[in-house]
Amino acid sequence: MLGINDPQIWIAYILCFLSAIGCMIYGIIHWNDEEDNN
Amino acid sequence: MAVSTPILGMAILIYLMVVFYLGWVGYKKTKNTEDYMLAGRKVNPFVLAFSYGATFISTAAIIGFGGYAGAFGMGVLWLVFMNIFVGIFIAFIIFGSRTRRMGSNLKAVTFPELLGRRFQSRFIQGFSGALITIFMPLYAGGVLIGGARFMETALGVDYNIAVLILAIIVAAYVITGGLIAIMYTDALQGALMFIGMSILLVITYVKLGGVVEAHQALTNMAHLVPENLAAAGHTGWTTMPAFGSPTWWTLVSTIILGVGIGVLAQPQLAVRFMTVQSSRSLKRAVLSGGPFIFMMAGVAYIVGALSNVYFLETKGMISFDVVGGNIDKIIPEYINSAMPDYFVVFFLLTLLAAAMSTLSSQFHTMGTAFGHDLYREYIMKGKIAKTINITKAAIATTILISVALAYILPPGIIARATAIFFGLCAAAFLPMYAGAIFWKRMTKEGATASLLAGTFSSLFWLTFVHAKEASALGISKALFGVDTILTGTWTVVDPILIATPLALIVAVVVSLMTKPASQEHIDMCFK
Repeated sequence: MLGINDPQIWIAYILCFLSAIGCMIYGIIHWNDEEDNN
Repeated sequence: MAVSTPILGMAILIYLMVVFYLGWVGYKKTKNTEDYMLAGRKVNPFVLAFSYGATFISTAAIIGFGGYAGAFGMGVLWLVFMNIFVGIFIAFIIFGSRTRRMGSNLKAVTFPELLGRRFQSRFIQGFSGALITIFMPLYAGGVLIGGARFMETALGVDYNIAVLILAIIVAAYVITGGLIAIMYTDALQGALMFIGMSILLVITYVKLGGVVEAHQALTNMAHLVPENLAAAGHTGWTTMPAFGSPTWWTLVSTIILGVGIGVLAQPQLAVRFMTVQSSRSLKRAVLSGGPFIFMMAGVAYIVGALSNVYFLETKGMISFDVVGGNIDKIIPEYINSAMPDYFVVFFLLTLLAAAMSTLSSQFHTMGTAFGHDLYREYIMKGKIAKTINITKAAIATTILISVALAYILPPGIIARATAIFFGLCAAAFLPMYAGAIFWKRMTKEGATASLLAGTFSSLFWLTFVHAKEASALGISKALFGVDTILTGTWTVVDPILIATPLALIVAVVVSLMTKPASQEHIDMCFK
Protein backbone atom coordinates (compact mmCIF):
# COMPACT_ATOMS: atom_id res chain seq x y z
CA MET A 1 0.00 0.00 0.00
CA LEU A 2 1.49 3.37 -1.05
CA GLY A 3 4.83 1.63 -1.61
CA ILE A 4 4.96 0.59 2.06
CA ASN A 5 4.74 -3.13 2.91
CA ASP A 6 4.33 -3.02 6.70
CA PRO A 7 0.64 -2.42 7.54
CA GLN A 8 1.69 -0.84 10.86
CA ILE A 9 3.29 1.98 8.86
CA TRP A 10 0.81 2.58 6.05
CA ILE A 11 -2.07 2.49 8.52
CA ALA A 12 -0.27 5.20 10.55
CA TYR A 13 0.32 7.22 7.35
CA ILE A 14 -3.37 7.07 6.38
CA LEU A 15 -4.56 7.72 9.96
CA CYS A 16 -2.50 10.92 10.05
CA PHE A 17 -4.29 12.12 6.92
CA LEU A 18 -7.73 11.05 8.10
CA SER A 19 -7.35 12.58 11.57
CA ALA A 20 -6.26 15.92 10.07
CA ILE A 21 -9.23 15.87 7.68
CA GLY A 22 -11.52 14.75 10.54
CA CYS A 23 -10.44 17.80 12.56
CA MET A 24 -11.32 20.06 9.63
CA ILE A 25 -14.75 18.48 9.20
CA TYR A 26 -15.46 18.70 12.95
CA GLY A 27 -14.51 22.39 12.97
CA ILE A 28 -16.75 23.13 9.99
CA ILE A 29 -19.75 21.21 11.41
CA HIS A 30 -19.52 23.04 14.75
CA TRP A 31 -18.63 26.44 13.28
CA ASN A 32 -22.02 27.94 14.13
CA ASP A 33 -22.62 26.25 17.50
CA GLU A 34 -24.23 28.27 20.29
CA GLU A 35 -21.93 30.54 22.30
CA ASP A 36 -21.63 29.27 25.88
CA ASN A 37 -19.39 31.87 27.48
CA ASN A 38 -19.69 32.41 31.20
CA MET B 1 25.86 27.22 3.13
CA ALA B 2 24.32 27.45 -0.30
CA VAL B 3 22.79 30.91 0.12
CA SER B 4 24.35 34.32 0.48
CA THR B 5 24.39 35.74 3.98
CA PRO B 6 23.15 39.25 2.94
CA ILE B 7 19.91 37.85 1.44
CA LEU B 8 19.31 35.71 4.52
CA GLY B 9 20.21 38.59 6.85
CA MET B 10 17.73 40.83 5.02
CA ALA B 11 14.95 38.23 5.27
CA ILE B 12 15.58 37.77 8.99
CA LEU B 13 15.63 41.54 9.54
CA ILE B 14 12.23 41.99 7.84
CA TYR B 15 10.83 39.06 9.84
CA LEU B 16 12.11 40.50 13.13
CA MET B 17 10.64 43.92 12.34
CA VAL B 18 7.20 42.33 11.89
CA VAL B 19 7.68 40.36 15.13
CA PHE B 20 8.56 43.55 17.03
CA TYR B 21 5.57 45.35 15.52
CA LEU B 22 3.27 42.56 16.79
CA GLY B 23 5.04 42.68 20.17
CA TRP B 24 4.35 46.42 20.31
CA VAL B 25 0.66 45.82 19.46
CA GLY B 26 0.53 43.33 22.36
CA TYR B 27 2.12 45.91 24.68
CA LYS B 28 -0.46 48.56 23.69
CA LYS B 29 -3.38 46.16 24.17
CA THR B 30 -2.26 44.94 27.61
CA LYS B 31 -4.25 46.88 30.23
CA ASN B 32 -4.52 44.48 33.19
CA THR B 33 -3.40 41.16 34.70
CA GLU B 34 -5.84 39.08 32.65
CA ASP B 35 -4.51 40.64 29.44
CA TYR B 36 -0.90 39.92 30.42
CA MET B 37 -1.51 36.37 31.67
CA LEU B 38 -4.39 35.18 29.44
CA ALA B 39 -4.55 37.58 26.48
CA GLY B 40 -7.81 38.99 27.91
CA ARG B 41 -9.68 35.65 27.48
CA LYS B 42 -10.92 36.63 24.00
CA VAL B 43 -8.48 35.21 21.47
CA ASN B 44 -9.54 34.48 17.87
CA PRO B 45 -9.83 30.68 17.17
CA PHE B 46 -7.37 30.78 14.25
CA VAL B 47 -4.83 32.66 16.37
CA LEU B 48 -5.40 30.07 19.12
CA ALA B 49 -4.89 27.11 16.75
CA PHE B 50 -1.73 28.47 15.14
CA SER B 51 -0.37 29.71 18.45
CA TYR B 52 -1.00 26.33 20.11
CA GLY B 53 0.56 24.49 17.17
CA ALA B 54 3.57 26.79 16.84
CA THR B 55 4.22 26.54 20.59
CA PHE B 56 3.85 22.76 20.51
CA ILE B 57 6.15 22.29 17.50
CA SER B 58 9.65 23.58 18.15
CA THR B 59 12.96 22.99 16.45
CA ALA B 60 13.05 19.84 18.60
CA ALA B 61 10.13 18.36 16.68
CA ILE B 62 11.34 19.38 13.22
CA ILE B 63 15.09 18.84 13.61
CA GLY B 64 15.25 16.40 16.55
CA PHE B 65 12.41 14.02 15.71
CA GLY B 66 12.79 14.61 11.94
CA GLY B 67 16.38 13.43 12.34
CA TYR B 68 15.12 10.47 14.36
CA ALA B 69 12.88 9.52 11.40
CA GLY B 70 15.93 9.85 9.13
CA ALA B 71 17.78 7.32 11.26
CA PHE B 72 14.96 4.97 12.30
CA GLY B 73 12.22 5.42 9.69
CA MET B 74 8.51 6.10 9.49
CA GLY B 75 7.37 4.31 12.69
CA VAL B 76 7.39 7.76 14.28
CA LEU B 77 4.31 8.60 12.15
CA TRP B 78 2.31 7.08 15.02
CA LEU B 79 3.39 10.11 17.03
CA VAL B 80 1.88 12.39 14.35
CA PHE B 81 -1.42 10.54 14.69
CA MET B 82 -1.22 10.90 18.50
CA ASN B 83 -0.35 14.60 18.16
CA ILE B 84 -3.42 15.24 16.00
CA PHE B 85 -5.93 12.93 17.72
CA VAL B 86 -4.80 13.39 21.35
CA GLY B 87 -2.85 16.66 21.11
CA ILE B 88 -5.49 18.55 19.13
CA PHE B 89 -8.86 16.77 19.07
CA ILE B 90 -9.04 15.32 22.60
CA ALA B 91 -7.09 18.26 24.06
CA PHE B 92 -9.34 20.97 22.61
CA ILE B 93 -12.74 19.28 22.65
CA ILE B 94 -12.63 17.15 25.80
CA PHE B 95 -10.01 18.80 28.04
CA GLY B 96 -10.14 22.30 26.56
CA SER B 97 -13.79 23.15 27.01
CA ARG B 98 -13.87 22.05 30.67
CA THR B 99 -10.55 23.77 31.40
CA ARG B 100 -11.83 27.02 29.90
CA ARG B 101 -15.07 26.92 31.90
CA MET B 102 -13.46 25.97 35.22
CA GLY B 103 -10.66 28.51 34.72
CA SER B 104 -13.27 31.19 34.18
CA ASN B 105 -15.38 30.06 37.20
CA LEU B 106 -12.36 30.05 39.52
CA LYS B 107 -10.77 33.17 37.98
CA ALA B 108 -7.50 31.27 37.53
CA VAL B 109 -4.85 32.89 35.33
CA THR B 110 -2.28 30.06 35.18
CA PHE B 111 -2.37 26.25 34.92
CA PRO B 112 -1.03 25.70 38.49
CA GLU B 113 -3.56 28.25 39.78
CA LEU B 114 -6.41 26.34 38.11
CA LEU B 115 -5.29 23.13 39.90
CA GLY B 116 -4.65 24.93 43.20
CA ARG B 117 -8.06 26.64 43.26
CA ARG B 118 -9.94 23.51 42.14
CA PHE B 119 -8.48 21.64 45.13
CA GLN B 120 -8.39 24.69 47.45
CA SER B 121 -4.68 24.15 48.02
CA ARG B 122 -1.92 26.74 47.86
CA PHE B 123 0.55 23.85 48.19
CA ILE B 124 -0.59 22.31 44.89
CA GLN B 125 -0.26 25.69 43.16
CA GLY B 126 3.16 26.36 44.73
CA PHE B 127 4.58 22.86 44.15
CA SER B 128 3.36 22.81 40.52
CA GLY B 129 4.89 26.26 40.03
CA ALA B 130 8.17 25.06 41.55
CA LEU B 131 8.21 21.98 39.30
CA ILE B 132 7.78 24.15 36.20
CA THR B 133 10.38 26.65 37.46
CA ILE B 134 12.97 23.92 38.05
CA PHE B 135 12.46 21.63 35.04
CA MET B 136 11.08 23.79 32.24
CA PRO B 137 14.40 25.66 31.79
CA LEU B 138 15.84 22.28 30.70
CA TYR B 139 13.28 22.13 27.86
CA ALA B 140 13.73 25.85 27.08
CA GLY B 141 17.51 25.38 27.12
CA GLY B 142 17.11 22.58 24.56
CA VAL B 143 15.02 24.78 22.25
CA LEU B 144 17.45 27.68 22.72
CA ILE B 145 20.30 25.39 21.64
CA GLY B 146 18.35 24.39 18.50
CA GLY B 147 17.72 28.02 17.54
CA ALA B 148 21.27 29.14 18.30
CA ARG B 149 22.85 26.25 16.36
CA PHE B 150 20.76 27.30 13.36
CA MET B 151 21.99 30.92 13.64
CA GLU B 152 25.56 29.66 13.97
CA THR B 153 25.47 27.58 10.77
CA ALA B 154 23.26 29.92 8.73
CA LEU B 155 24.67 33.32 9.65
CA GLY B 156 28.13 32.43 10.87
CA VAL B 157 27.35 33.99 14.27
CA ASP B 158 29.36 32.64 17.22
CA TYR B 159 27.18 30.09 19.08
CA ASN B 160 27.58 31.77 22.49
CA ILE B 161 26.54 35.14 21.07
CA ALA B 162 23.65 33.53 19.14
CA VAL B 163 22.18 32.15 22.40
CA LEU B 164 22.23 35.64 23.92
CA ILE B 165 20.77 37.38 20.84
CA LEU B 166 17.92 34.86 20.56
CA ALA B 167 17.09 35.07 24.28
CA ILE B 168 17.14 38.89 24.30
CA ILE B 169 14.90 39.21 21.20
CA VAL B 170 12.27 36.82 22.58
CA ALA B 171 12.54 38.25 26.11
CA ALA B 172 11.90 41.77 24.78
CA TYR B 173 8.43 41.03 23.43
CA VAL B 174 7.46 38.46 26.09
CA ILE B 175 8.25 40.73 29.05
CA THR B 176 6.66 43.85 27.56
CA GLY B 177 3.71 42.40 25.63
CA GLY B 178 2.65 39.37 27.69
CA LEU B 179 0.46 36.64 26.23
CA ILE B 180 -1.20 38.93 23.64
CA ALA B 181 2.19 39.64 22.03
CA ILE B 182 3.12 35.96 22.30
CA MET B 183 -0.04 34.71 20.59
CA TYR B 184 0.09 37.30 17.79
CA THR B 185 3.74 36.55 17.04
CA ASP B 186 3.00 32.81 17.34
CA ALA B 187 0.32 33.13 14.66
CA LEU B 188 2.79 34.84 12.29
CA GLN B 189 5.46 32.25 13.09
CA GLY B 190 2.95 29.42 12.67
CA ALA B 191 1.93 30.73 9.23
CA LEU B 192 5.60 30.86 8.15
CA MET B 193 6.11 27.31 9.42
CA PHE B 194 2.99 26.06 7.60
CA ILE B 195 4.12 27.50 4.26
CA GLY B 196 7.72 26.31 4.69
CA MET B 197 6.79 22.73 5.52
CA SER B 198 4.16 22.52 2.74
CA ILE B 199 6.76 23.49 0.12
CA LEU B 200 9.25 21.02 1.63
CA LEU B 201 6.78 18.12 1.30
CA VAL B 202 5.88 18.91 -2.32
CA ILE B 203 9.48 19.41 -3.49
CA THR B 204 10.60 16.19 -1.77
CA TYR B 205 7.92 14.00 -3.36
CA VAL B 206 8.41 15.62 -6.80
CA LYS B 207 12.19 15.17 -6.56
CA LEU B 208 11.86 11.48 -5.69
CA GLY B 209 9.40 10.71 -8.51
CA GLY B 210 6.05 10.69 -6.66
CA VAL B 211 4.51 9.43 -3.43
CA VAL B 212 4.40 5.67 -4.12
CA GLU B 213 7.72 5.68 -6.02
CA ALA B 214 9.50 7.48 -3.15
CA HIS B 215 8.08 5.09 -0.53
CA GLN B 216 8.91 2.04 -2.68
CA ALA B 217 12.51 3.22 -3.09
CA LEU B 218 12.75 3.60 0.70
CA THR B 219 11.20 0.16 1.25
CA ASN B 220 13.80 -1.35 -1.10
CA MET B 221 16.62 0.07 1.07
CA ALA B 222 15.91 -2.16 4.09
CA HIS B 223 19.08 -4.21 3.46
CA LEU B 224 21.20 -1.07 3.99
CA VAL B 225 20.41 -0.73 7.72
CA PRO B 226 23.77 -0.56 9.57
CA GLU B 227 24.56 -3.70 11.58
CA ASN B 228 24.68 -1.97 14.96
CA LEU B 229 21.22 -0.41 14.41
CA ALA B 230 19.82 -3.72 13.10
CA ALA B 231 21.09 -5.46 16.23
CA ALA B 232 19.03 -3.01 18.34
CA GLY B 233 15.84 -3.80 16.38
CA HIS B 234 15.97 -1.52 13.30
CA THR B 235 14.34 -3.43 10.41
CA GLY B 236 14.12 -0.74 7.70
CA TRP B 237 12.69 2.75 7.14
CA THR B 238 9.15 1.70 6.19
CA THR B 239 8.70 -0.97 8.87
CA MET B 240 8.25 -0.86 12.63
CA PRO B 241 11.29 -1.88 14.72
CA ALA B 242 11.37 -5.53 15.90
CA PHE B 243 8.70 -5.95 18.61
CA GLY B 244 10.18 -5.70 22.11
CA SER B 245 13.63 -4.59 20.91
CA PRO B 246 15.35 -1.57 22.56
CA THR B 247 14.56 0.55 19.46
CA TRP B 248 10.89 -0.49 19.64
CA TRP B 249 10.65 0.40 23.34
CA THR B 250 12.26 3.80 22.81
CA LEU B 251 9.95 4.54 19.87
CA VAL B 252 6.75 3.35 21.55
CA SER B 253 7.28 4.35 25.20
CA THR B 254 9.40 7.51 25.05
CA ILE B 255 8.44 9.03 21.72
CA ILE B 256 4.91 7.88 20.81
CA LEU B 257 3.41 7.63 24.32
CA GLY B 258 5.73 10.02 26.19
CA VAL B 259 5.30 12.95 23.83
CA GLY B 260 1.90 11.84 22.46
CA ILE B 261 0.17 11.76 25.86
CA GLY B 262 2.49 14.18 27.68
CA VAL B 263 1.17 17.01 25.54
CA LEU B 264 -2.16 16.95 27.42
CA ALA B 265 -0.52 18.13 30.63
CA GLN B 266 1.83 20.77 29.23
CA PRO B 267 1.26 23.93 31.31
CA GLN B 268 2.13 26.29 28.43
CA LEU B 269 -0.44 24.55 26.20
CA ALA B 270 -3.21 23.95 28.77
CA VAL B 271 -3.21 27.65 29.71
CA ARG B 272 -4.22 28.47 26.13
CA PHE B 273 -7.64 26.87 26.62
CA MET B 274 -8.34 29.65 29.12
CA THR B 275 -7.59 32.37 26.55
CA VAL B 276 -10.80 31.99 24.52
CA GLN B 277 -14.25 33.34 25.20
CA SER B 278 -16.33 30.23 24.57
CA SER B 279 -16.18 26.52 23.80
CA ARG B 280 -17.24 27.37 20.26
CA SER B 281 -13.86 29.02 19.72
CA LEU B 282 -12.16 25.77 20.78
CA LYS B 283 -14.25 23.78 18.27
CA ARG B 284 -13.40 26.29 15.55
CA ALA B 285 -9.70 26.08 16.44
CA VAL B 286 -9.71 22.32 15.74
CA LEU B 287 -10.41 23.12 12.07
CA SER B 288 -6.94 24.58 11.53
CA GLY B 289 -5.15 22.86 14.45
CA GLY B 290 -5.35 19.33 12.99
CA PRO B 291 -4.00 20.14 9.51
CA PHE B 292 -1.35 22.41 11.08
CA ILE B 293 0.15 19.59 13.17
CA PHE B 294 0.00 17.25 10.17
CA MET B 295 1.92 19.74 8.04
CA MET B 296 4.50 20.28 10.80
CA ALA B 297 5.26 16.94 12.41
CA GLY B 298 3.97 14.73 9.58
CA VAL B 299 6.09 16.47 6.95
CA ALA B 300 9.22 16.56 9.14
CA TYR B 301 9.06 12.81 9.77
CA ILE B 302 8.12 11.78 6.21
CA VAL B 303 10.85 13.97 4.71
CA GLY B 304 13.35 12.85 7.38
CA ALA B 305 12.79 9.21 6.42
CA LEU B 306 12.82 9.93 2.66
CA SER B 307 16.14 11.82 2.95
CA ASN B 308 17.69 8.33 2.85
CA VAL B 309 16.47 7.85 -0.74
CA TYR B 310 17.87 11.22 -1.81
CA PHE B 311 21.27 10.64 -0.19
CA LEU B 312 21.50 7.11 -1.60
CA GLU B 313 20.84 8.44 -5.12
CA THR B 314 23.24 11.40 -4.84
CA LYS B 315 25.96 10.24 -2.43
CA GLY B 316 25.53 6.47 -2.31
CA MET B 317 25.07 6.63 1.48
CA ILE B 318 22.19 6.51 3.96
CA SER B 319 21.37 9.68 5.95
CA PHE B 320 22.83 8.28 9.18
CA ASP B 321 26.24 7.87 7.51
CA VAL B 322 26.09 11.21 5.65
CA VAL B 323 25.95 13.09 8.98
CA GLY B 324 28.42 10.80 10.73
CA GLY B 325 25.81 9.53 13.18
CA ASN B 326 24.72 12.97 14.52
CA ILE B 327 21.02 12.64 13.68
CA ASP B 328 20.27 16.28 14.60
CA LYS B 329 22.08 17.22 11.36
CA ILE B 330 20.02 15.06 8.95
CA ILE B 331 17.27 17.62 8.21
CA PRO B 332 19.63 20.65 7.87
CA GLU B 333 21.98 18.59 5.65
CA TYR B 334 19.07 17.42 3.47
CA ILE B 335 17.68 20.97 3.11
CA ASN B 336 21.10 22.35 2.17
CA SER B 337 21.80 19.59 -0.36
CA ALA B 338 18.41 18.94 -1.93
CA MET B 339 16.50 22.23 -1.88
CA PRO B 340 16.78 25.26 -4.19
CA ASP B 341 18.63 28.29 -2.72
CA TYR B 342 15.57 30.50 -2.24
CA PHE B 343 13.90 27.75 -0.23
CA VAL B 344 16.93 27.28 2.00
CA VAL B 345 16.52 30.91 3.09
CA PHE B 346 12.81 30.42 3.72
CA PHE B 347 13.34 27.17 5.60
CA LEU B 348 15.93 28.75 7.87
CA LEU B 349 13.33 31.42 8.69
CA THR B 350 10.84 28.60 9.36
CA LEU B 351 13.24 27.07 11.88
CA LEU B 352 13.88 30.42 13.56
CA ALA B 353 10.11 30.94 13.82
CA ALA B 354 9.69 27.44 15.29
CA ALA B 355 12.32 28.11 17.95
CA MET B 356 11.02 31.58 18.86
CA SER B 357 7.35 30.60 19.05
CA THR B 358 8.12 27.80 21.50
CA LEU B 359 10.63 29.84 23.52
CA SER B 360 8.22 32.75 24.00
CA SER B 361 5.61 30.55 25.69
CA GLN B 362 8.23 28.72 27.73
CA PHE B 363 9.56 32.04 29.06
CA HIS B 364 6.03 33.25 29.85
CA THR B 365 5.02 29.99 31.56
CA MET B 366 8.23 29.72 33.59
CA GLY B 367 7.92 33.35 34.66
CA THR B 368 4.28 33.08 35.71
CA ALA B 369 4.98 29.78 37.53
CA PHE B 370 7.90 31.29 39.44
CA GLY B 371 6.56 34.82 40.01
CA HIS B 372 2.82 34.28 40.38
CA ASP B 373 2.29 30.66 41.48
CA LEU B 374 5.36 29.95 43.60
CA TYR B 375 6.37 33.36 44.98
CA ARG B 376 3.22 35.49 45.12
CA GLU B 377 0.54 32.89 45.85
CA TYR B 378 2.45 30.23 47.83
CA ILE B 379 5.39 31.89 49.59
CA MET B 380 3.75 35.31 50.14
CA LYS B 381 0.19 33.87 50.44
CA GLY B 382 -1.05 36.40 47.88
CA LYS B 383 -0.33 39.34 50.17
CA ILE B 384 1.87 41.41 47.89
CA ALA B 385 1.49 43.94 45.15
CA LYS B 386 0.54 43.57 41.49
CA THR B 387 1.35 40.23 39.94
CA ILE B 388 2.49 41.68 36.59
CA ASN B 389 5.65 43.32 37.96
CA ILE B 390 6.64 40.22 39.92
CA THR B 391 5.97 38.05 36.86
CA LYS B 392 8.14 40.28 34.65
CA ALA B 393 11.05 39.98 37.11
CA ALA B 394 10.50 36.21 37.31
CA ILE B 395 10.46 35.87 33.50
CA ALA B 396 13.83 37.66 33.34
CA THR B 397 15.22 35.33 36.04
CA THR B 398 14.08 32.11 34.38
CA ILE B 399 15.41 33.30 31.01
CA LEU B 400 18.85 33.72 32.60
CA ILE B 401 18.66 30.14 33.93
CA SER B 402 17.71 28.83 30.46
CA VAL B 403 20.59 30.74 28.86
CA ALA B 404 23.01 29.29 31.43
CA LEU B 405 21.71 25.79 30.64
CA ALA B 406 22.17 26.41 26.90
CA TYR B 407 25.89 26.93 27.62
CA ILE B 408 26.17 23.88 29.91
CA LEU B 409 24.02 21.15 28.29
CA PRO B 410 25.86 18.60 26.11
CA PRO B 411 25.26 18.38 22.32
CA GLY B 412 22.53 16.10 20.92
CA ILE B 413 20.32 16.88 23.93
CA ILE B 414 17.42 18.65 22.15
CA ALA B 415 15.02 15.73 21.67
CA ARG B 416 15.92 14.13 25.03
CA ALA B 417 15.35 17.33 27.02
CA THR B 418 11.96 17.69 25.34
CA ALA B 419 10.95 14.09 26.04
CA ILE B 420 12.08 14.31 29.70
CA PHE B 421 9.96 17.40 30.34
CA PHE B 422 6.91 15.99 28.53
CA GLY B 423 7.19 12.73 30.50
CA LEU B 424 7.57 14.50 33.84
CA CYS B 425 4.51 16.68 33.13
CA ALA B 426 2.46 13.62 32.21
CA ALA B 427 3.31 11.85 35.47
CA ALA B 428 3.08 14.85 37.80
CA PHE B 429 0.11 16.73 36.33
CA LEU B 430 -2.01 14.51 34.07
CA PRO B 431 -3.88 12.33 36.65
CA MET B 432 -4.47 15.39 38.88
CA TYR B 433 -5.52 17.59 35.92
CA ALA B 434 -7.87 14.96 34.47
CA GLY B 435 -9.37 14.35 37.93
CA ALA B 436 -9.76 18.09 38.50
CA ILE B 437 -11.94 18.63 35.44
CA PHE B 438 -13.74 15.26 35.14
CA TRP B 439 -14.09 13.75 38.63
CA LYS B 440 -16.04 15.75 41.22
CA ARG B 441 -15.16 13.22 43.97
CA MET B 442 -11.40 13.86 43.66
CA THR B 443 -10.10 15.37 46.88
CA LYS B 444 -7.34 17.79 47.81
CA GLU B 445 -5.44 14.94 49.52
CA GLY B 446 -5.83 12.68 46.47
CA ALA B 447 -4.53 15.41 44.17
CA THR B 448 -1.58 16.22 46.45
CA ALA B 449 -0.62 12.54 46.79
CA SER B 450 -0.89 12.05 43.01
CA LEU B 451 1.27 15.11 42.30
CA LEU B 452 3.99 13.94 44.70
CA ALA B 453 3.84 10.26 43.62
CA GLY B 454 4.02 11.18 39.92
CA THR B 455 6.86 13.65 40.39
CA PHE B 456 9.09 11.54 42.59
CA SER B 457 8.51 8.17 40.90
CA SER B 458 9.27 9.81 37.54
CA LEU B 459 12.47 11.40 38.87
CA PHE B 460 13.46 8.13 40.61
CA TRP B 461 13.01 6.16 37.37
CA LEU B 462 15.03 8.74 35.40
CA THR B 463 17.84 8.72 37.96
CA PHE B 464 18.14 5.01 38.70
CA VAL B 465 16.49 2.90 35.97
CA HIS B 466 16.06 4.54 32.54
CA ALA B 467 19.49 3.90 31.04
CA LYS B 468 19.81 6.99 28.83
CA GLU B 469 19.47 9.45 31.72
CA ALA B 470 20.66 7.25 34.60
CA SER B 471 24.04 6.50 33.06
CA ALA B 472 24.50 10.15 31.98
CA LEU B 473 23.65 11.49 35.45
CA GLY B 474 25.93 8.98 37.20
CA ILE B 475 24.07 9.20 40.54
CA SER B 476 23.19 5.48 40.50
CA LYS B 477 26.81 4.65 39.67
CA ALA B 478 28.07 6.78 42.57
CA LEU B 479 25.61 5.32 45.11
CA PHE B 480 25.31 1.67 44.06
CA GLY B 481 28.23 1.10 41.69
CA VAL B 482 25.93 0.23 38.76
CA ASP B 483 24.62 2.42 35.92
CA THR B 484 21.03 1.24 36.51
CA ILE B 485 19.60 -0.66 39.48
CA LEU B 486 17.34 -2.80 37.23
CA THR B 487 18.54 -4.56 34.08
CA GLY B 488 17.16 -5.86 30.77
CA THR B 489 14.05 -4.36 29.16
CA TRP B 490 13.30 -2.17 32.22
CA THR B 491 16.18 0.13 31.30
CA VAL B 492 14.49 1.14 28.02
CA VAL B 493 10.94 1.54 29.43
CA ASP B 494 10.17 5.25 29.70
CA PRO B 495 9.27 6.70 33.14
CA ILE B 496 5.87 7.75 31.75
CA LEU B 497 4.74 4.10 31.59
CA ILE B 498 5.62 3.60 35.28
CA ALA B 499 4.99 6.96 36.96
CA THR B 500 1.74 8.02 35.25
CA PRO B 501 -0.25 4.83 36.08
CA LEU B 502 1.16 4.96 39.62
CA ALA B 503 0.06 8.59 40.05
CA LEU B 504 -3.38 7.69 38.68
CA ILE B 505 -3.83 4.79 41.13
CA VAL B 506 -2.66 6.96 44.05
CA ALA B 507 -5.10 9.73 43.01
CA VAL B 508 -8.08 7.35 42.99
CA VAL B 509 -7.23 5.40 46.16
CA VAL B 510 -6.38 8.43 48.31
CA SER B 511 -9.41 10.38 47.05
CA LEU B 512 -11.76 7.54 47.97
CA MET B 513 -10.21 7.35 51.45
CA THR B 514 -10.55 11.07 52.21
CA LYS B 515 -13.37 13.55 52.70
CA PRO B 516 -14.66 15.22 49.52
CA ALA B 517 -14.73 19.00 49.08
CA SER B 518 -17.88 20.90 50.06
CA GLN B 519 -20.79 20.63 47.62
CA GLU B 520 -20.83 24.42 47.38
CA HIS B 521 -17.22 24.52 46.12
CA ILE B 522 -17.79 21.67 43.65
CA ASP B 523 -20.89 23.42 42.30
CA MET B 524 -18.89 26.61 41.77
CA CYS B 525 -16.09 24.73 39.94
CA PHE B 526 -18.41 22.82 37.62
CA LYS B 527 -21.19 25.36 37.02
